[in-house]
Amino acid sequence: MIRLKNVTKKYKNDHYALRNIDLEINSGEFVFVVGSSGAGKSTLMKLLYSEEKPSSGIVSIGGINIANIKNSKIPNLRRCMGIVFQDYKLLQNQTVFDNVAYVIRTLGISSKEINARVQGALKIVGLYEKMNATPAELSGGEQQRVGIARAIVNGPPLLIADEPTGNLDPQNSMEIMQILDQINQRGITVIVSTHDNNMVDYFRKRVIKLDHGEIVKDMQAGTYE
Amino acid sequence: MNNNLKTSVKKHIPKDWLCELRILFRLGIQTISDIKRTGLVNLVIITTMAAILTIFGACFRTALSISSFSKELGSALEISVYLKSSTDVREAQSEIAKFEHVVEITAIPKSVSWNKLKNEMKLPNIDNPLPDTLHVKVDDPENLESVFDNIKAIKSVEDMSYAKDLAAKIELVNHVVKTITFVVILIMGLLTVTIINNTVQLVIQSRKEEIEIMRLMGVNNWYIRFPFIMQGAFYGFMGSLLAVIPLNYVQNGLNNVHKFFMIPSPLYAQNLVILVMFTMSILFGAVGSYWCIKKHLQV
Repeated sequence: MIRLKNVTKKYKNDHYALRNIDLEINSGEFVFVVGSSGAGKSTLMKLLYSEEKPSSGIVSIGGINIANIKNSKIPNLRRCMGIVFQDYKLLQNQTVFDNVAYVIRTLGISSKEINARVQGALKIVGLYEKMNATPAELSGGEQQRVGIARAIVNGPPLLIADEPTGNLDPQNSMEIMQILDQINQRGITVIVSTHDNNMVDYFRKRVIKLDHGEIVKDMQAGTYE
Repeated sequence: MNNNLKTSVKKHIPKDWLCELRILFRLGIQTISDIKRTGLVNLVIITTMAAILTIFGACFRTALSISSFSKELGSALEISVYLKSSTDVREAQSEIAKFEHVVEITAIPKSVSWNKLKNEMKLPNIDNPLPDTLHVKVDDPENLESVFDNIKAIKSVEDMSYAKDLAAKIELVNHVVKTITFVVILIMGLLTVTIINNTVQLVIQSRKEEIEIMRLMGVNNWYIRFPFIMQGAFYGFMGSLLAVIPLNYVQNGLNNVHKFFMIPSPLYAQNLVILVMFTMSILFGAVGSYWCIKKHLQV
């Protein structure tokens, strides 16, 4: 379970990105975090994977308060979750396979297991046939699917996707959301930040709406507006 | 979720030595890849390092030779101690032997000195006026003065002497050589650290995107840092390896000087110089990298 209690994030220029956020997300949920640009979506996501630390309040993941987590412990936390970015963040000079395998290789896992895990993840996102291609040879949607495969290859209980369809056309956006939905159906908690109202309205999942750093709506099977 | 998270954490901790071995292998591959990525700059760094290390090695090796020269001369220096007429020579000898830095005491009875003098000069038949003498050798010329002062305090000592000027000169040469070696080590360290620092900074810049991705994906901080430290150490090692060639010429040259003066060359010197050079260059290389990482790699 994810729990945010009275979380405020204030930047040095006295700008409040988040104000007194109280939030609970249960295991296995699919949550859309929506809002216009500057509403605080990305800051909220960054708090969850400890790229930012809150100015005050508690951010608890799996019962562990990560609000003041030591820098040396952050990698352990991040390996327990999958993170998907708007700009894919792929290594352009490496193949799809190598991009997905990159992190698990650093854990000392055997080649046999790496092959099995990477192939499994690529099958889920439908890129098994393109495992030897480089990102430059893939479309934007396919690159984002590689990003998703990389995020789930380690079998995390939580997937955080920060504007995963921000750079994609509607058709590719739909495919990405469907993949995220499938992943959620495997029991993984999925949190997606987006400002794509069509997607949010189509999937009818829990919607948390932010405005000027505050939660203005938290609705099960909700819509964007 | 709580249990899942804890299970996930456990799952990520390497369980056996095979995992550790695979991680080391991956780190090795990453280091090689970083070195390859640096391209021709590697050659520039290694040759510069080799040049610096050759200067250091030559200075250090010469210092050892000069030190052996001065030791050899210094060992010829001794303190002559003249005892009072009523003194028991053995008692005085054992008293002096207790002092620090004293390595050898030779007693010359006054009868021996007198006979020797009589053989060398035509002397009238008078009573022996000479005192019993002790020749005291010390371990290092720089300790002559302190030993001299200690002996002076003994009651049974009538008078003493030693070649003070020569001892002072030998000590000065030793001191100058040691200072030069220290300054060279300091300059070598600074240059090495600066060169490695700049190179690693370039590599960090070229891998900026990759490091950012690794960081966000939860790759351990030490896993990101280690290849850079290895790369710095590699430059130190290669620089030393290359510096061994000119240092052999220095060694041969110094051996010839030793032969000329008939002073034995210290056998351990070349091995010591190479060992110190490798250790220091690898250490400075790694430290240079580490400082650079601390400054430029925010993980």
